[in-house]
Amino acid sequence: MRRVSLTIALLLLTAAAHAAQVQALLIRASNDEKLADARLKELQPQLKKKFGYPYYQQMGEKHESLKTDTVSRLDLGEGFVVFVTPKATDKKVHELEIEWTSGRASLVKSTVKISEGGHLFVKGPAVANDWIVLALTVHE
Amino acid sequence: MKPHNPELISALLDGELRGLRRWLVERHLHRCAICAAEYRHLHHVRDMLAANPVDASMSDSSEFFWSKVKREIEARSQQSKVVPTPEPGFLGWIGQHSHAFATAVAAVVAALGIVWVVQTHRTAKHPGSTPVVVVRGNTVTVEQVTTALNHAVATPLKGDDTSVAVIWVSGLPWTPDLTAMETHFANTDS
Repeated sequence: MRRVSLTIALLLLTAAAHAAQVQALLIRASNDEKLADARLKELQPQLKKKFGYPYYQQMGEKHESLKTDTVSRLDLGEGFVVFVTPKATDKKVHELEIEWTSGRASLVKSTVKISEGGHLFVKGPAVANDWIVLALTVHE
Repeated sequence: MKPHNPELISALLDGELRGLRRWLVERHLHRCAICAAEYRHLHHVRDMLAANPVDASMSDSSEFFWSKVKREIEARSQQSKVVPTPEPGFLGWIGQHSHAFATAVAAVVAALGIVWVVQTHRTAKHPGSTPVVVVRGNTVTVEQVTTALNHAVATPLKGDDTSVAVIWVSGLPWTPDLTAMETHFANTDS
């Protein structure tokens, strides 16, 4: 009986370990070199291509496992929260409902299909000379 | 001088002709009623364009604005699939009036851009009616996007890289620092 329980527990852990995860990053795009962030080294070329700013600072980061029809709340700090609801998965392409909020304001709602390696960038509000950007990625 | 050459007339209007060439073209204009009419027509178009300059103040970046115009042109070109075959005389007419034709096309494109800007601002006042635009890609596809904020517009941008999708939310308020922004949105209902 103990072996069966252990096996089931291991199977559940394995399944959880293989569940796809969504990663949300709150980013500040800036002309200020002091804000250059080494954590965004891989993402920086794509961000620069899309938004033009030379430097990017990571302000917040959250990971969450994707469970169909379960709303995940990713609190990224500075009042920004992303709600992610996986609706379906087909051939490792995840259909997600996304809502990006700040305080009581819903900035944007979207339905996206995203697979491993794909990035969704959302250009948000402007602060001083900078832009706030949301980056979403799915990891298998 | 080659008779009825609209390119030279256009060059004269643009101040590109000098010396003998300019004198020859001006002399031809005085003698040729067709070219004189063409000259007056082009002059009129220039005056109209100069009198109605496009408002250059936009809340969007030039890259974003162009992506919207491009998408609108693509959408409209897909709608009009039936292209009427021009009569043989029409092609000849275009050959003779190529510059006037190009000017007219440029004016239509500029008008489309102005209409698009006006429509965008009208849409911003009714966030519930934000159009659904589909951007296809290999790894990221934006199926639907909306914003509930007044005076804001959320638009998916189409790019070359299919592994990256961008949603551009324009019309959001500017704040001097993060604290002011957090306070602003804490008091903003959507």
